[in-house]
Formats: sequence, C-alpha cells, structure tokens
Amino acid sequence: MSFINVDQLTRLFDLSEPWIVRAITGQKKRILTAVDCVNFQIEKGETYALVGESGSGKSTIAKMVAGILVPTSGSVIIDSKDFNDAKLDKTSMNALRRKTQMVFQSPYASLNPRWKIGSIINEPIKAFGLIENENSQHIRVIELLEQVGLSERDIGKYPHEFSGGQRQRISIARALASEPEIIICDEPTSSLDVSVQAQVLNLLKDLQKNFSLTYLFISHDLAVISTMANNIGVLKEGVLVEEATPKDLFCKPQHDYTKMLLAAVPNLQNN
Amino acid sequence: MERFFRSDFFYHFCHAPVAIVSFITIILIILSAIFANLIAPTNPFDPSSLNLMNGFTPPLETNEFTGESFLLGTDDQGRDLFSTILYGLRISLFVGLMAVFLAMVMGVLLGLIAGFLGGWIDSIIMRFADIQMTFPSILVAMLIYGVARGILPPEVRYEMSIVVLIISIGLSEWVPFARTVRGSTLVEKEKEYVTAAKMIGLNRQQIMVRHILPNVLSPVLVIATITFALAIIAEATLSFLGVGVPTTKPSLGTLIRIGQDFLFSGEWWILLFPAITLLALALSINLFGDWLRDTLNPKLK
Amino acid sequence: MDEPLLEIKDLSVSLKKRNTISVAVDCLSLNLYPSEILGLVGESGAGKSMTGSAILGLIESPLYISAGTITLHGQSIVEAPEHIRGSKISMIFQDPLVSLNPLKTIGEQLVKTIKTHFNISKAEALERGKRLLSDVGIDPERIDAYPHTFSGGMRQRVVIALALAPDPDLIIADEPTTALDVSVQAQILNLLKRLCIERGTSIILITHDMGVISETTDRVAVLYSGRLVEIGETSDVLQHPKHPYTAGLVASTPNIDPHSFHKKLFQIPGTMPDINDVPNGCAFHPRCEHASNICQTQKPPLFNARASCWLLETPGETL
Ligand SMILES: Nc1ncnc2c1ncn2[C@@H]1O[C@H](COP(=O)(O)OP(=O)(O)OP(=O)(O)O)[C@@H](O)[C@H]1O
Ligand SMILES: Nc1ncnc2c1ncn2[C@@H]1O[C@H](COP(=O)(O)OP(=O)(O)OP(=O)(O)O)[C@@H](O)[C@H]1O
Ligand SMILES: [Mg+2]
Ligand SMILES: [Mg+2]
Repeated sequence: MSFINVDQLTRLFDLSEPWIVRAITGQKKRILTAVDCVNFQIEKGETYALVGESGSGKSTIAKMVAGILVPTSGSVIIDSKDFNDAKLDKTSMNALRRKTQMVFQSPYASLNPRWKIGSIINEPIKAFGLIENENSQHIRVIELLEQVGLSERDIGKYPHEFSGGQRQRISIARALASEPEIIICDEPTSSLDVSVQAQVLNLLKDLQKNFSLTYLFISHDLAVISTMANNIGVLKEGVLVEEATPKDLFCKPQHDYTKMLLAAVPNLQNN
Repeated sequence: MERFFRSDFFYHFCHAPVAIVSFITIILIILSAIFANLIAPTNPFDPSSLNLMNGFTPPLETNEFTGESFLLGTDDQGRDLFSTILYGLRISLFVGLMAVFLAMVMGVLLGLIAGFLGGWIDSIIMRFADIQMTFPSILVAMLIYGVARGILPPEVRYEMSIVVLIISIGLSEWVPFARTVRGSTLVEKEKEYVTAAKMIGLNRQQIMVRHILPNVLSPVLVIATITFALAIIAEATLSFLGVGVPTTKPSLGTLIRIGQDFLFSGEWWILLFPAITLLALALSINLFGDWLRDTLNPKLK
Repeated sequence: MDEPLLEIKDLSVSLKKRNTISVAVDCLSLNLYPSEILGLVGESGAGKSMTGSAILGLIESPLYISAGTITLHGQSIVEAPEHIRGSKISMIFQDPLVSLNPLKTIGEQLVKTIKTHFNISKAEALERGKRLLSDVGIDPERIDAYPHTFSGGMRQRVVIALALAPDPDLIIADEPTTALDVSVQAQILNLLKRLCIERGTSIILITHDMGVISETTDRVAVLYSGRLVEIGETSDVLQHPKHPYTAGLVASTPNIDPHSFHKKLFQIPGTMPDINDVPNGCAFHPRCEHASNICQTQKPPLFNARASCWLLETPGETL
C-alpha cells in the first residue's frame, strides 16, 4: 500500500436551479461530474503532479485529498487513514489534519490581510497545540520564517507589505508550521513572474529534501511540472487520461490530449 | 498613532474642507452635550430652578418680571432654551448612539451568520430583512414602540421610555448593516485564507469571528455614521409625534414639538434654535459620512 | 529597413504623489516597423502596461508623461485627439470580459465599432463584421450570440475582431493570453501572427512569459524598473543575451528538457525594486553578479543599440 491512495475518486456538483424554479420552468436537474473515477498513488517523499486545462477538476481533487471537500464516492487514504471515515476519532482526525497542509494559488487571497505575519504562521502551532509556551512559539515562528528565506524582522508586518513571491513563502511557512508530511500545492506559482517562480520552486525542492515531504503538485504549466514531478497524471474533463513518469510523458506521450497539450507549450528552444 | 497622521486617510482629510468643517461641528456639538452641566447656566431638568415668571422671554431680552436675560430666550415654562438644548442634545445623542450600536451589533451578527452559513438560515434572515425594508423605518420604529409600550407594565413605562425608544430605533435600522456584511462575507468566505483555516481544523465560529469578521468591518463604520444621523432624526421624529421621551426630559425632537405650538403666536425662537441644532448635527454627520464613504471606498465614487 | 511605424523617443512616465515624484517609465526609446511583432517583456511592475497606455494616450492622473515624444507615421500622437489614435491603434486586454458588453450581441458591438470609424451603411457594416469574425476563426453565423455563450478563448477572438474593426496599423496586446489555457493560448498567438502577415498590422505584445515571446515575436524589448535593458532580434536576445537580467530571465524559465528533469532552476536573487526607491546607477546592480563600482553610480546607456549594461563598454567582453 502506498503512502497516499486515491481510489475511484468521484465528485459531482449539482448545478441545477432551486427546485421551485425547476418545477415552474420544467427544467431537468443538471449534474456536473467534476472528477470521474480517478485512481493514483503517491509514495512517501515523492511528487505527484496533476496537469490539465482549466476546469478539468485539478483543484477539486486537491480539496478532496486535503479533506475539505467530501467525495461523492471513492476514497482518499493517507497513511491508512481516511478523512471521511465516520469511525475516525478526534485525535486521529487532528493528527491527519496536521499531516496534510496546502499552499494556494493566489498570493493575495491566501493570507488574512488583517493578521500580522507572526500570528498567521503561529496559528497552526496554536490550533494543533504543538507548542504551549509563548516564547518557544515565537522562536519556532522565527525558525520557520528563516526556513523559507524571510527573517525575524518580518514578524510584525502585514501581508500587504510583501511582494507576491514573499507572500507565497509565508504561505509555505504556514503550511510547514504544523510539521506536515504532505503538502498539496495548487498552482503555487501560476501568478508569479518567472524569476520569482524559480525561487519558489527551488525552495519547495529544498524543503522536500530536508523534511522528506510528499507533494501533490498541481499546475497547468507542463514545463514547471517537468522540473518538479516524479509522476504525472494528465486530467481531461475529470478523467485521468494518462499517467507516466516525466521521461515517458514528454518523450513518448500516449494519449492525443497529452500530445496536444505538449504541442501547445511555448518553448524557448523552438525558436 | 504616528502611523495615522502619516496615512493617506489623514492626508485626504486635511485636503477636504467639507470633511474638516463637518467633523469640527460634530465634535463641538458632542463636546457641548457631554459637558452640558458645566456650560449650561441652569439645569432645565431640575424643577426647583425653574421660574414660571421667566416664560416666553425672547432671546437676549430682559424679562420684565424677574429682570433676568437669556442667550436664546426661554420656553413656556421659563426654562432657559440654551441649557435645554444642551441637555436635550445629550438625550438625542445618547439615544442615537445606543440605537446605532444596537443596530450595528445585530446587523453585523445576522449578516455574518447569513453570509457564512448560507442555505435556509440565509434565506430566512434576508427575506425578513427584505420585508422590513418595504416599510419606512420610522413606521417600523413606531410599531415596535407601540408593541413595547403595550407589553410593559404601566409602573415602569415611564422610566423605560428611553430604553424602548433605543430598541425601537435600533431594530428599525439593522438591515443595511446586515446586507453589507452579508455581501462582504460571501466574498471573503471563498478566499483561500479561509480554506487554510479549515485545514487546521478551526470550527465555524472560530473562522467567522477570527478570520472573516475583521475583514468585513470597514464598510460598517461608514454605514454606522450615516445611520447615526438617521437615528437622531428618527428620535426627533418620534419625540415630535409625542411617542418618544417624556416632556420633563426633553430631547431635541420634544423641544421642536413644544416650539411648534408657539410658532404662530410669535414665540419663534422656541422652535428655531432646537431645529437649527438638529439640522446642523444631522447635516454634518451626513456630510462626514459621505466623505468617509468616498475616501474609504474609491470604487463608489 | 523601412521607415518605422511608431517611434518612441526618451519617453518618461512619472507618478506624482503628495510631494514625491517617482518614475514608472524612464527614458524609454523604441522603434516599431510595419508588420512586425515586438515583444515587451519584464517582471510585474516593470512598466510594460504603462508603456502601452502611454502609446494609447490612456495615462491618467496621478501619472503623467514627463518627457519624450511618441510619433506614429512621423506625426506626434502625444497630444493627438482621441479619434485619430482610436482608428490607427487598437488595444487588446488580458480579460476579454472587460472589453465586451455582456448585454449586447457581438454583432451589435462589431457594427457599432465599425460605424464609428467608417461612414458605411448598417448592412455593409454587418457584412464587414462577419468577415472579421471568420478572419479570427469564429463561425460568422454566431454574430447574433451574446458574449457569455462563448468560451474564454472564443471571447478573446471576438475582442481581437473588435480590435481589428477600425483596420488599425498597430495593435497593442497587453497579456492577451495570460487568463487562458495553454492550448487556447497557442491558437490566439497563431492568430495574431497570421493577422500580422496577412494584414500587415504591427503588434506590440506585452507579456511576462518568455516562451510566448520566443514563439511569437520578431523582436523583443526587455524592461526592468521602467528602463529598457535590452532590445534586439528575439532569437538573438534569447540565445545570446547581452544583459545579465535577460540572461537570468531566460535561465530561470523552466523548459521541457529531458536533461533537466528534477534539476534545480537557475534563480536571480532578490526582487525588482519598488518604483519609489530605485537604486542609483544601473537599477539591476543589487541583483547582478557582475556588478562593479561604475554600476552603482552611473546609469548605463544603451550600448550597440542592444543592451544597457556596463559590461558592454569594453568591446569583446560578453557574458
Ligand atoms: N463548488 C462548486 N460548485 C459547482 N461547481 C464546481 C464547484 N467547484 C468546482 N466546480 C466545477 O467543477 C469543475 C472542475 O473545477 P476545478 O476547480 O477542479 O478545476 P481546475 O482544474 O482546478 O481548473 P483551474 O485550472 O481553472 O483552477 C469546473 O467545471 C467547475 O466549474
Ligand atoms: N495608477 C497608478 N498609481 C500609482 N502607481 C502606479 C499606477 N499604475 C501603475 N503604477 C506603478 O507603475 C509601475 C509600472 O506598472 P505597470 O502596470 O506598467 O507594470 P507591468 O509591467 O504592466 O506589470 P504587470 O505584469 O503586473 O502588468 C508599477 O510599479 C506600478 O506599481
Ligand atoms: Mg484550480
Ligand atoms: Mg501590466
């Protein structure tokens, strides 16, 4: 059994109008299958990347793996535990939450604008009761800031005083605060410039090595994925159409959709 | 504090004459109401200091019986109008402030809950708000006032009249707060920092109070300012209609009603001075509120 | 080469706030030739959009053009009335929804735009609108559809059709594909290239994606902190960058290359300075590994009409 097992994962969304409106206008129910029977495994310490066009269901999968969206059917089993297991008691639930953290796409919306950086990073430490003593909490926050390349001076600042790349670093520090084993990165660099993107991707790689983290890495940029992933899953309209290692995927793509995606990537060397 | 003086907000304030004038007027009026007992020459609420012989003395003229003279004249019972206005302001401002506070707490709370929880709770709260909005708020206030008076036993009716007034005005003004807060909550709850809070296992109350509430409050200040003016006018209207505070402790509205009785018999000052005070107060609060809205919310311009 | 279509000379755009003046675009000079695609690339805040706005005359207070000239066909357009600009220069924005009116069919919007620029009948305008739609690869039969019935990529095509309606000499496309998927992006970029060849329209393509620059443009101008740091033939600039910043941008762009899987990317240390505290000398010197004393004190001029870097002062020395 792998570290993370995604088994027959399916999620439907009900897009229909309220029943009153349907009764009056005679419309049928409209159900969208956002994720359709997706299976994949992730080994500990590895990076699994999901790629696909907008609306292909990448974020929906990420949310289900993170335990904040309930699957319609199928399961996500992390280290032989399941977020949606009714028998899971409170302590194991908390332990599971602590283990899985997330880094988001928008550097602007992912940090509460009214909170200071210190409190943002300290929140998971407090919520999981990892460190009780306030002084030790402070020291831990500084340590986390330094791990992502920021410094003690930044503790008292507000998010708007930072650039996009720095904010992503703060997001990463917050995710690291609960000492997780898995970090789900949902397009962490899509809104960053190339130079800043390189900094953030390298940081993620260093952290993976130092803390043997497991990543579920989501992006629509195949070039970014090629530098990050051990395994790649290609999603199309909620279905996993191809799964391969970077070498196989980029050198011998099997599915037409993958070939189309590859052909569309603007490449520096093509010129 | 130093940050405030260097902020853009303070800079804009210093370059907006309307804002400065209205702000100073508001502060002056509030200060004179707070320190009414030090400024006012007499205490109009103390029956022993009244002399009926002083009744209907015009402004700045000497009363022919007692030889006393009054800055703004006296009313029918010989109360010094200047003092009465200062003390009346106290009541008007107090009622207004408390009513706004009540409306704000209620509106913010209900808006936050409606926006965050959604579903049928949201429908119930907002449909109720819609229905209430179809009636003029003064009518709602009068309705609540009437019901409350009917419920209360007669012994306490008199003491409770100010509390009843505050509650009825407060309950009639919560809707704009709730609507705005609900709108911002709907936007905020989709943001990723809320998801991050869910990821560390915070419950709904914690997310609402710690994360969303601080981010939906900024428009509330603006609405509070504008509602404050509305509440003061509502109080004046209710008192003018005779359903507000008792005449022994007159507010601005009560004074205007009293003055109205004497307008056509030539004692114009009894109406004019309280009316001017009310106008100046409501107008400056409104102007300041408008400026505040434009400054804090450049998109609305 | 022929006469330039557009000439920008020493353009500066400044920002006045309270008592401080900061410079958003600093002494920028560029030429654009007919039927050429020029890329404008740089990090966020480098002044790319601002340069586009200056050409379109869209600079608004507190920003203002503090120096320089912009000429189109040899005529100054800094003070030209709006309709002259409007019929010769069009703009395509990042978000197609901003430029489309959701309440009107695309036909109505096309006809209105065509009729404001040409004195023709409604039927003729409609005919022209249909031709434009088929030019950008949309079925002309859908002319009576509303914008929301199109997908993101199709909306961007409609916006391009609208931009083509006045038959402009120049199109400024400000990140036209940033909001789109790679596959749709490839279609839109191909469309722009085709239009440039078929109609002889010049295009200024603003983007921060080096891949897009490489695949689409003939020449590229690299901006940093509001200054032009390098300009030249695209393939030459990307393969043999002369400015350390361009070199860094190219090296930090991830590429699909079997030899670099799992390797770390090159990274430029630090971030671009805020326009309120641009360092003295070369704005890039705090992040540059080649920086010497002169870089900290004197602004480098554009050497060899190519790059502003003191390294180029001594001939023969390259990166
Ligand atoms: N809460 C929701 N209610 C209804 N539909 C939803 C919801 N969340 C997602 N969807 C739909 O599910 C589909 C997949 O969405 P998802 O966000 O997973 O896409 P994505 O691959 O992350 O795309 P992007 O690259 O744009 O982020 C989309 O069609 C979307 O409209
Ligand atoms: N209205 C404004 N007021 C003040 N500063 C502004 C204004 N508009 C732009 N700026 C500043 O001018 C500089 C250049 O902005 P510009 O929009 O041209 O950048 P850009 O290169 O287009 O970046 P992006 O890739 O983010 O679109 C930035 O530092 C920006 O902060
Ligand atoms: Mg997504
Ligand atoms: Mg821009």
